[in-house]
Amino acid sequence: MFARADRPARRVGREPNRWPPGFADGQANRAALLVLMSLPGLSPRVLLALARREGDAASCLAAVRRGRAGSDADRELARSLRSEVIEAEVSAAGAEFVPVGCAGYPPQLEHLSDPPAGLFVVGRPAPSLAEAVAVVGARQCSQAGRELAASIGRHLGRAGACVVSGAARGIDAAAHEGALEVGGHTLAVLGCGIDRARPSSARSLLGRIASGGTAVSEYPPGVPPKPFRFPARNRIIAGLSRALVVVEGAEGSGSMISADHALDLGREVFAVPGAVTNPLAHVPNALIREGATLVRGGEDLLDDLGLDRLGLPGRSGDRSRPVPEVELSEGERAVFERVTGPVLPETLARELGLTLREVVPTLMVLEMKGLVRSAGGRVERRLPT
Amino acid sequence: MYGTVIGVTLLGVHGRPVVVEAHIGRGLPSLTITGLPGASVQDGRDRIRPAVESSGLEWPLRRVVVNLSPGNLRKEGPGLDLPIAICVLCASAQVPRDRAAGLAFVGELSLRGALVPTPGVLSAAIAASRSGLRGVVVPEANAAEAALVEGLEVIGVRTLAEAVAYLRGSSTARLPASPPPPPREDPGVDFAEVRGQAHARRALEVAAAGGHNVLMVGSPGAGKTMLARRLATILPALSREEALEVTQLHSIAGLLGSSGLRSARPFRAPHHSISLAGLLGGGGSYLRPGEVSLAHHGVLFLDELTEFHRDAIEGLRQPLEDGRVVITRAAGSVEFPARFTLVAAANPCPCGYEGDPRRQCRCLPHRVQAYRQKLSGPLLDRIDIRLFVPRLSKAELLGEAAGEPSASIRERVDQARERQRRRYGHTGFSCNAQLPGPLARREAGISAGGQDVLARAVDTLALTGRGFDRAIKVARTIADLDGAHEVSSEHVAEALSYRMDLSEESLVRAG
Repeated sequence: MFARADRPARRVGREPNRWPPGFADGQANRAALLVLMSLPGLSPRVLLALARREGDAASCLAAVRRGRAGSDADRELARSLRSEVIEAEVSAAGAEFVPVGCAGYPPQLEHLSDPPAGLFVVGRPAPSLAEAVAVVGARQCSQAGRELAASIGRHLGRAGACVVSGAARGIDAAAHEGALEVGGHTLAVLGCGIDRARPSSARSLLGRIASGGTAVSEYPPGVPPKPFRFPARNRIIAGLSRALVVVEGAEGSGSMISADHALDLGREVFAVPGAVTNPLAHVPNALIREGATLVRGGEDLLDDLGLDRLGLPGRSGDRSRPVPEVELSEGERAVFERVTGPVLPETLARELGLTLREVVPTLMVLEMKGLVRSAGGRVERRLPT
Repeated sequence: MYGTVIGVTLLGVHGRPVVVEAHIGRGLPSLTITGLPGASVQDGRDRIRPAVESSGLEWPLRRVVVNLSPGNLRKEGPGLDLPIAICVLCASAQVPRDRAAGLAFVGELSLRGALVPTPGVLSAAIAASRSGLRGVVVPEANAAEAALVEGLEVIGVRTLAEAVAYLRGSSTARLPASPPPPPREDPGVDFAEVRGQAHARRALEVAAAGGHNVLMVGSPGAGKTMLARRLATILPALSREEALEVTQLHSIAGLLGSSGLRSARPFRAPHHSISLAGLLGGGGSYLRPGEVSLAHHGVLFLDELTEFHRDAIEGLRQPLEDGRVVITRAAGSVEFPARFTLVAAANPCPCGYEGDPRRQCRCLPHRVQAYRQKLSGPLLDRIDIRLFVPRLSKAELLGEAAGEPSASIRERVDQARERQRRRYGHTGFSCNAQLPGPLARREAGISAGGQDVLARAVDTLALTGRGFDRAIKVARTIADLDGAHEVSSEHVAEALSYRMDLSEESLVRAG
C-alpha cells in the first residue's frame, strides 16, 4: 500500500458510501431498482444522491416518473419500462440480479465513490475482497506480456485467489485463461450487458468464465459495449479486488485509470516492469516510479500477497534463474546467454564470432525447447513457465 | 486479278501463319476483309489505302476483297497490315508475284506508309520458320528479335516503299542473319548494396536456390522492396530457350522495343490496383499476356499483398500450380506460360508497426484480424518461405557490413540448382519447390538427426502437415546449397526458421 507523494491519499479509509438502509429491500423496491438501472441518464452517482433524498428505490422511481429527478427522456422511459420484462431478460441471459445490500452483493464495492446500485451476475457468487486480485493491461499486448499474464493467472488460480479482469483481449483474456487453465476462480467485469459481449472470441472466453467462474456487469442485458463504459467498468474491477497488477500498458491506456481507482480505494498496486524503450512498459514503469510494487511474475506476487503456493513447484531461494533446468549443449548455452533483449540473429552471430548459418539453427533448437521466441524478426527470451 | 501472300496472326504466345488472298473485281471502290478478322485487323482497313498511296503506289479503284484463311480462326493484331497491303499490290501487279512467295510479312502501317514496331514479331518469325518459309519481312525495329530464329532470312524494312523495292529487286534491304549477341543486361541493382538484413538475404538465397516463393512481412521502411528487387540478380542465368520464351512474351506485350534477346531474368512489380486481366492476361479481343507471364522465368513481386483485389490473388493459384495461364473466351482458349518466383510483401498490420520495438501499433484489434485474414488463405499454401523483415535501428544498421555481391551468391545458387536438376532429371521437376509433398517426404533424404528435429517441431511448434512438407522442401534446398547429400539437423532447423504464423494474435513462428 502506498500513497503517491504528489497526491494525498484522498479517500483512503473513507466511510463507505452507504445506500440508505432498506433501499432495495422487498420485491417492490427490487422491481423499481431494475427499472432505475435501465435508465441511461441515471448514473450510479446521481442515483445514490437521489436515494439519499428519497429513501428507497420505489420512492426514487416514483420521483423520476413524476419528473422530479432525471432527464425528460429518463422520465418517459421510466413510465414505459416494465420490471417484469427486464426480469425476464435477466433470466433469459442466465443472470441473476443482485441489488445492493442483498446477499451476493460484494460489500467491498460500497467503498467506491459511485458504487453500482446492483449487479447482474452470471455463475458463481463474487469473491470476497481477500480472495480477489485484479490483473489488467493492454489489449494490444506483446506475446511476452500475454504469456506473463497467463502465468500470473495460473499462479493466482493455484493459490486459490480469484483473478478479476475485464474480459478484453490481450492481457485481460490471458489472465482469465491462465486461471481457467488450472481450474481457479476468475471473475470478468463487463462494460456492457451480460449478453452483449463482443467480439466473438470474447464470447467464447466469457462462456467458459461463466461456467467455471463469474461474470458481472452493472448494466442490464441488452446494453451494447461502448468505449465510454470501459473506464466505469474499471472502477468495479479495482473495487472488487484487494490488489491490482498491471502487466502492460501504453501511454494513455485504461490500465492507468484502473490503477488510479485502485489507489483511490487504498488497494495495493503491483506492476511488471519493462524496458524503458518499450512503449508497452510505459504504464507499469510509471506506476513503479510512483511507488507501485515491482513484481517479476506470479511468484513475486504470491510472496507479496502472502498467498500459499499450493501445488506450485517448491520454493527455491534463488529465483533469478539465469538458465532454466533444460538440457543445453555448450553451443546452445552460449547463444542463449547472449539473448538478452530482443536481438537480431545476425547481431548475435557477430557478438559470438559465429556465422549466421551457425546461429540460426541453434536459435531454432532453443525455440523448440521453449527458451526463446522470435517476434518481429528479433529473438527474445521466453518466461520460464 | 488475284494475289496471295503469307501473314502471321498471334494465338496466345504462338504465331499462326495466315494465307492472305486479295481479289480485285468490278464494283465501286471498296476494301472488304473476310475470314474472321478481329477488331484490330478490321481497324487496319482504313489505314492501308492511305499508306499505299503515300508510298507512291497506286490503290486499285475497284472492289477489293481480301480473304484471310483459315477462316475459323479469329485473326488479331495489327501485324496483318503489311501482308494485306502487299497482297493487294500483288493482285494489282505492282509487285512481282513470285518474289513474295516463301516469305511471311508482319508489320503495322502508319498512314504515311512507315512500318511501326509491331508486337509479337519473334513469335511470328518462329511460326514462319516452323512452317518452312524462307524468310520474314518485318519492321526494321523488330529485325533484331526476328533474327533470333536460326536459319530464317530476316528482311528489316522501314517503310512499305522499301518492302516493295525489295520485292521488285531494286533494293537489298536486309539484316545479317545473326546479329552479334547483345551484352548481358545490367539489372542495375546488387545484393552488395544491402546493409544488414542478413537473415532475409539468406532466405532469398535459399528461395533462389530451390525456386521457393517468399512472403516478407515487415514495417514500412524495413527494406522489403529493396530485397525483392535483388532476388532476380541471384537467380541462375537464363538458358537460351528460356530467354527466347521471355523475349517472345515481352515482344507480344510490346515491351521489347528494338532490342533482341532478353537475357536478364524479368522483375515485375505490378501496382496493387491491377485488375485480374492485367495480372493474368486477357483483354477484349487481342489477348495480351498478363504480369504473371511477363514475369515468366523471373520474379513477380506483389508489394502490399493485402491491397490487391481478392479475385486477382485467387487467380494466382493456377499459374503458381501449373506454371501457365489459360484464358478462355467464347472464341477459344489461349495459353500463356507463367512460371515465376512469387515474392509477396505485406505490413504486419494496417498501420504497419505491430511488433516494432520502437513504435506502438495503433490498429484496432478487429482491423488487424481482418487484415491477417486477407494475408492467409490458399495463396499462402504455395509460399514456402515466410519471414519477418524487421526495421533496423541505426545502431543495428551501422554494425553490419555491406552484403555479399550478387555474383558470388549466384554461383552457389547455380550449383544448388544443378544438383536438383541431376536429382530430378527423370521426374520432370526442376527444383525442390515443385515437388509434391509426399514425394518430398520420400525423396528428401533427411538424416536421423533431421527427422528428430522435425518430430520435435511437430510437438513444440505446432507444425501443421503442410508446414511439415514445406520445411522438408526448404531443408532439402539448404542441403543442396551446402552440397550435402543428406539433410542434416542443422539444415532442418534453419528451414524451420523460415516460417511464420499469421494468426490474429501475433506474428510468431509456426507451421
